Amino acid sequence: MKWLQRFALSLIAAAGFSGAAYAEDLLILTEEVPVSLNYDGATASIDTNWVGWDNILDPLVYHANGAINEDGVQLLNFNKFEGRLAESWSFDEATLTWTFNLRKGVKGCDGATFNADDVLYTFARAKSVSGAAPIGWFLANTGSVDGFTPAVFAPTDDGAAARKLGDEVKKIDDYTVQIRQSAPNQLFLKVLSIFALYIFDKETMEAHATADDPWSHNWTNNDGLAGFGPYCLNEWRKNDRFSLTANPDYYRGAAVYDRVVVKKVPQSANRVAILLSGAAQIAEHLTPKEYNTLSKAKNVSVVGVQGNENMFMILNFKSPPFDNPLVRQAIAHAVPYERIIDTSYFGEAHKWQGVVPSTYPGFHVASTQYNYDPEKSKALLAEAGYPGGAGLEAFPDSFKLTYMLERESEMGPTATILHTAFREVGINVELNPIPQAQYGDRELVKKDLPMGLTAHIKPIGVDAAYGTLLSYVSSNKGGILNSANYSSDMVDGTLYGSLAEGDNDKRNEMLAAIQEQLMKDLVVIPILEFRTHWATAASVTGVVWHPDNALRLHDLKPAK
Amino acid sequence: MISRFILRRVIIAFFQLLGVSLVVFFLIRLLPADPVANLVGLNASDDAYAQAERSLGLDKSIFEQLSVFLGFSEDPGLVDASLGISWMTNEPVFLEIGRFLPVTLELVTLSLLLSFLIAIPLGMASATKPGSIADKVALIWGMFAGAQPDYWWGLLFVFVFFYVLGVAPPPMGSIDPMMSRPSVITGFLTIDSLLLGRFDVFISVLFHLMLPVVTLVFVISGAITKMVRQNMVRALSSDYILYAQACGLSKKEIGRYALRAALTPAVTLVGIFYMILLSAAVTVELVFSLSGIGQYAIRSILTFDYPAIQGVVLTVALLSLFIYLILDIIHAYLDPRVQY
Repeated sequence: MKWLQRFALSLIAAAGFSGAAYAEDLLILTEEVPVSLNYDGATASIDTNWVGWDNILDPLVYHANGAINEDGVQLLNFNKFEGRLAESWSFDEATLTWTFNLRKGVKGCDGATFNADDVLYTFARAKSVSGAAPIGWFLANTGSVDGFTPAVFAPTDDGAAARKLGDEVKKIDDYTVQIRQSAPNQLFLKVLSIFALYIFDKETMEAHATADDPWSHNWTNNDGLAGFGPYCLNEWRKNDRFSLTANPDYYRGAAVYDRVVVKKVPQSANRVAILLSGAAQIAEHLTPKEYNTLSKAKNVSVVGVQGNENMFMILNFKSPPFDNPLVRQAIAHAVPYERIIDTSYFGEAHKWQGVVPSTYPGFHVASTQYNYDPEKSKALLAEAGYPGGAGLEAFPDSFKLTYMLERESEMGPTATILHTAFREVGINVELNPIPQAQYGDRELVKKDLPMGLTAHIKPIGVDAAYGTLLSYVSSNKGGILNSANYSSDMVDGTLYGSLAEGDNDKRNEMLAAIQEQLMKDLVVIPILEFRTHWATAASVTGVVWHPDNALRLHDLKPAK
Repeated sequence: MISRFILRRVIIAFFQLLGVSLVVFFLIRLLPADPVANLVGLNASDDAYAQAERSLGLDKSIFEQLSVFLGFSEDPGLVDASLGISWMTNEPVFLEIGRFLPVTLELVTLSLLLSFLIAIPLGMASATKPGSIADKVALIWGMFAGAQPDYWWGLLFVFVFFYVLGVAPPPMGSIDPMMSRPSVITGFLTIDSLLLGRFDVFISVLFHLMLPVVTLVFVISGAITKMVRQNMVRALSSDYILYAQACGLSKKEIGRYALRAALTPAVTLVGIFYMILLSAAVTVELVFSLSGIGQYAIRSILTFDYPAIQGVVLTVALLSLFIYLILDIIHAYLDPRVQY
């Protein structure tokens, strides 16, 4: 066997394959590489795309560093901002105008120098809503930037006028920009720190524009992206690999790793095996069981953070008998929270005591909590008119516990535990895994899932108000997801009041009242918050948790 | 004569492809999901949804969409051979398939060549010497290799040869991911690397294709060996071989006559096994992270990317028709009983 090994090793050497041969390179294994670099493109919601624009572009402002957690992961301070492409800023309450003083001498990968025109271009592109999914417009709208209203979608001349950037974003000089709001809104700086308002390099973007495509959507969809971030695009083969090189002129200092290759390895078991072999430095998108296994391995480091990922159950208010609060409460008391945490997440999770991420400013632990109590569940069912579950068979479609088929290895164990626990109190559910595309359609667009198990929705705007606006505000009042078709005048009214409230204590009181109401109404059944993990070679350190959970490669460095 | 035969087949193939196109176009629109929802995702406000629907052309009537698909509009379509624009990547489907298909064809062709190189001598030895070691090996291999699906063998080979023994490369595609790829000439990495004198790439590709090819060869060779053996046994018991034996011809000469008769049906087998390997490659590509047409098909189906799904089905249908046309022509040349 030794001759075979020697032969193979010589072949390896001849083939140029050696993990150690690339000391300043980084190989990241993932389930998919970016299919688009256009954050206003059709696939902007696919999180495997985000490594592209998160590392090629930079924001005007970003969250300052906070504490370092027990795993060595750097956390961010969501209440404090620091300048990135903007050096400083001020706010005039009388005119609701923000003035940003831009950083000088910032160079992009293509040699362009950053100035106010790049900021105007970025907002003008967002307001043009010319991409398939206008995420930039959505964020500006959420931050109450004046003129970013739904009028831009009117397919008329009025719409065309509304889609043009006016003086709401104004160039004062090459390094000063003003942005005007239509109403006071505490989310403004927070939405600027989300990727879909990161700043483009206007000069390079326009060099790739055409008469039919003035905003270079085709180029960013297929070929490249230009900004002032720490990395430049080197090679991009969709469905295969994505390679970046460090921007030597990056204003915060060039990244330690000169070259980063993101390689698609669809099988998570293979990603684990390759990381263990030392041939790659980071493996992403693994199952809880695989992270658990890797945490015991030598030469591999698994670090985690209690971030913004969670699991909850949707019970649709439009699907009887879930319009009955007693039935909702009975189901909430039948969920064996601790068993799920121990079995499905190996203890790397905790019971969710609210309906927005507990790490976000404005989170409030509601006084109404639902613990595992089968006897109480049975009593509530009887009180609702279904003693021992009798009568629930009249709603067969409502009791299909639906989840994403592609996430079977993560969701399946939990669904099975719920199936067993519900049967113990007299509720018979049918497990119904369906393809991700179909699940997304029913959950997010048709909103007709009677009973769903979800673990993929996370608000990346770090604020309880953003999370509430995204998930629980009525659709006709600006809510986006609201998969359970929940509607409450109190929640809708108080939320918009909180956005305009300048006093932080008063604002937190309002957000607490909203969360009390949401928990009392059981807008969803919050099950658990699980830790977000990264598995790296022991030689790599410096992981920082960002709210979109994508790695910023500039943060990474070799371990001492 | 042969040109009329080819012309007739090409005309029939055109109508077959048109039929396949129409069937696929209507069938995928019956799928129980909305591609717009899949693409706009978490920010699916009504306005954003309508915007995405317009940009994909799904706000048009079904017949207008058919017209776009066939290419009778300003947008790219079937007629101009771009096969439309992928909704997932916004690239012409034709270009994407041109990038993915060579990976699969390289894998399948190498596997088929190697399979026949192993199966023909083994099948012959097994047939000419029943009960010999070769015969037993062929029998056990045929039963053993076919007893488990190819992806299972692939995962087992990765575990044993890469993870435990460390003699195979990691399952990370057809080339070392840190290596710069050669410029595209044909799209086939083995050929392009040789044409450009990039021997480092050539060796890396052979090395990385080693385990996926071994997996396919392991699974398919057993069946090919069995068929070669059966054809040989049938040929050896035929009257003309008995006559040759009666004439006192040597075993070697008799074996050569029998092999010729046994290989004629193998021409048809090549086509059948090529298509079998194309389907088997889907899961093997998944295990070894090869960006082939199978992976492209899976991604397109899971994301409800209608133009890409249509493009893949048409390409595979075209490939299948082309292979069978070539085989029919060869068969017609070899067998005088076949009429044009």
